[in-house]
Amino acid sequence: MNDRSFRSLLSRRRLLTATSALAFAALVATVNVAPALAEDGAHDGGDVVFLIDSLGDTWIPNNSAISSFQGHIWGHVTDKLLYVDAHGKVSPWIAERWEQNDSATEFTLHLKTGVTFSDGSPLDAAAVVANLDIWYAGRKSEGINPIGLFPKTYDHAEAVNATTVKVFFKKPTLGFIPTLGYHGSILISPKTIASPASAQADLSKTSGSGPYVVESWKEGDYVKLAKRKDYNWGPAAVGQTGPAHLDTITYKLVSEPSLRVAAVQSGQADVGYNASPQELESLKSEGLTVATPRYLGFVNGWAVNTKLAPYDDVKVRQALQAGINRQEIIDTVYTPDWKLATSFIQSNVPGATDQSALLAYDPDKAEKLLDEAGWKKGPGGIRVKDGKPLLLTLNSNPYLATSKSIDELISQQLGKIGWKVDIRAYDVVTFGQKVKYGGAGVPAYEVTRSFIDAGTVASILTNANNGENWFALDESDKTLNDLRDKIAGAGSIEARKPLLDELQKYVLDQGYFIPRTQIVQRIYVQSPKLKGEVYNGVAYASYYTATKSK
Amino acid sequence: MSKAYFNYAGKRLLQAIVVILLSYVFTFVVVSILPGDPITNVLNNPQNGFTPDEIKEIIAAQGLDKPIPVQLWNAFSGFLTGDLGLSMRTNRPVATLIAEVLPSTLVLASAGLAVALLLAAIIAYGTQFLPQRFGQGLLRGFPSLFLSVPNFVIGLVLIHLFGFQLGVFRVIEPDSFWATLFAAIALGIPISAQIAEVLIANLDHESGQDYATVARGRGLSQMRLFVKHLLKPSSLPVITVVALTIGELLGGSLITETVFGRNGLGSLVQRSVSTQDLPVLQAVVSLAAVVFVVVNLIADLTYPLLDPRVKLLGTQQRRPTTADDSSLPISKAVTP
Repeated sequence: MNDRSFRSLLSRRRLLTATSALAFAALVATVNVAPALAEDGAHDGGDVVFLIDSLGDTWIPNNSAISSFQGHIWGHVTDKLLYVDAHGKVSPWIAERWEQNDSATEFTLHLKTGVTFSDGSPLDAAAVVANLDIWYAGRKSEGINPIGLFPKTYDHAEAVNATTVKVFFKKPTLGFIPTLGYHGSILISPKTIASPASAQADLSKTSGSGPYVVESWKEGDYVKLAKRKDYNWGPAAVGQTGPAHLDTITYKLVSEPSLRVAAVQSGQADVGYNASPQELESLKSEGLTVATPRYLGFVNGWAVNTKLAPYDDVKVRQALQAGINRQEIIDTVYTPDWKLATSFIQSNVPGATDQSALLAYDPDKAEKLLDEAGWKKGPGGIRVKDGKPLLLTLNSNPYLATSKSIDELISQQLGKIGWKVDIRAYDVVTFGQKVKYGGAGVPAYEVTRSFIDAGTVASILTNANNGENWFALDESDKTLNDLRDKIAGAGSIEARKPLLDELQKYVLDQGYFIPRTQIVQRIYVQSPKLKGEVYNGVAYASYYTATKSK
Repeated sequence: MSKAYFNYAGKRLLQAIVVILLSYVFTFVVVSILPGDPITNVLNNPQNGFTPDEIKEIIAAQGLDKPIPVQLWNAFSGFLTGDLGLSMRTNRPVATLIAEVLPSTLVLASAGLAVALLLAAIIAYGTQFLPQRFGQGLLRGFPSLFLSVPNFVIGLVLIHLFGFQLGVFRVIEPDSFWATLFAAIALGIPISAQIAEVLIANLDHESGQDYATVARGRGLSQMRLFVKHLLKPSSLPVITVVALTIGELLGGSLITETVFGRNGLGSLVQRSVSTQDLPVLQAVVSLAAVVFVVVNLIADLTYPLLDPRVKLLGTQQRRPTTADDSSLPISKAVTP
């Protein structure tokens, strides 16, 4: 084929493509001729395509509710007893009001009336009891896991009447109320809960009470949600309680990140999930909406293994705390959308206090501390003590895409004050097998973890009550144990607040936890036509309130 | 059909079953040796907040702490009765998962095979009748070229050219007609090369035969000569090659699906491998073994039926392979 005929073929193909695209556009336009108007003047109707990098694994509600991917779908298909907004503020949803006794061991929930699951069964007190029971215990022999972060102090719950539930705990559990707004605490129809695991794994057989229902789905491919027209029990906190505006939301799996973004840029899709942070500035300048909501939880940082030399020395830990330039991480790896860590919990968590002074970058102080601890600069600038180099092994967290880049940057920063840093990168499976809190060869465990109530924090830090013993302290630190017990036993938020402040100060000052930055684990790139979405306390986008312009 | 034929068929069938069972056991052992499984992986994810005691309890409840031979026997006895079990990753029946994605892969594989056969026929025809000055020699180089370019490279080039530059198909709709066609082209090109090579070798031989010269002398058109006289005798070894390429069609479609974003058997395997979802992997490997073995069995068994000149010599009998063709073309071997 000669050059000219090739070119004419190209232009014919272009013409053909352009014509068919026009024809398609005309078809789409005629299909959506009559947009209904909602009361607030926004357009009702419209279809949204959300491109996601994975659709997770099983769809058993208990096992998938807190998945970074499936949580998006559960957020539309199910409701929760309470709503927790991005600042950790708790407000009524299916539970209209609630009371607790003075010792925070008994709670009474009063439910909205007239709420139904999509299978027609009522969302009443008995249904809530069935949900609380399965969140706490799961059905392990069937492969239905408990909700990991549901209070392990749960005793039982009773349906007092159709709209009143009484919940009993073995010990004071202030965290119970906020936990009801956590992503794991999704309300599922008792019929679904009673069905075997293999039935629960079929998403189309699961009924929730949310503003959307599953219209169709295919494993590893897509989930299409359709609006439930009789829905009128939304959380007042989002400014809407009636049915949703958008007709359908389709979550479509596109594993290649550049394809997800390119499809939003070209208008083939409305939202692309988990773009790379480096792209965000240029996407914003193209007019796309970029959202980087923070979840309520721990900041991204290290839990230090105090059993492993030299990190059993508080001076070395404090030198580590002072030797990291956190601003440089944000400037280099992230964008200004990311925030400096001010504590070891995210600053939007109620009860988080500003401990920035303890996290200031001070290389001189770090060097002085290391000198005092007996680590002298040797050949090549690496500090040495008793013939051993000052070594830090980092295991990059596979759940955070930017983890390794940050490790590399920190390695340079610490290198200047005499640290030798080894970086290991594992896949998710190997990481889970090899890297544990306080594990041999794991001086610093990189944390990415959300929670809904700061009260749960204290119990994680030591090994009491099945705690995770993050710093491998066991029961050796009296101050920490004392704070932990006081926080766990606090009967009110007010009484707990100063204790939490003290805990944060202590943990950071001791160098038990080394924060890096506040964490953004969900990044959304969105078409400017789509507006009005709401991000909750765990940073999931809800399109319940959203509208799409033509 | 003689007694010898049934003996031969029975033996081949037994061999096929043994191959399938061995592949099942082999997959189990290989995957079990690797650390991790979908259930433990989820439990170990620190974001899920399980305590070590809870993890132990759940793993025991799922029977994952049992010795590997016990686990193998449990799975194997199910497999023998036709029960493929539940996927550990999704908790759904493996048979359902496979049934969901199989149609997409079958469409792609058969379209890929069609593309491969068409391309092979066109190239082979060209090598016989295209005048030298129009690149007959060049055409003969195509099979080697096609074989040496991996099909994911072809796929990526096609996506960028036709998906992004020319906008012929939308990348997020991988099951549309055009997207499927380009995926089939990416898949079919390397396979066409093997078929074309065999076809060309046989055509070269046949067109030198006396009957071809006579046919030409009678003034037959090139196309008629090709279709009526040369193609049939040259195609018999192609059956062998096509049967052998089934494996490549399956393997190639795994890669092509990933590149084109199609949700088929390939992407199911990819998700299952990354989480070590043993029941799915075993089922897919066994399925692939079944397809491969059955197709080859059919080729073996139909050969004597299709070509009456091929005589069965007990177990010594085998169908001609590519290597045989150059030295001993079938038509010549049987009819002196």
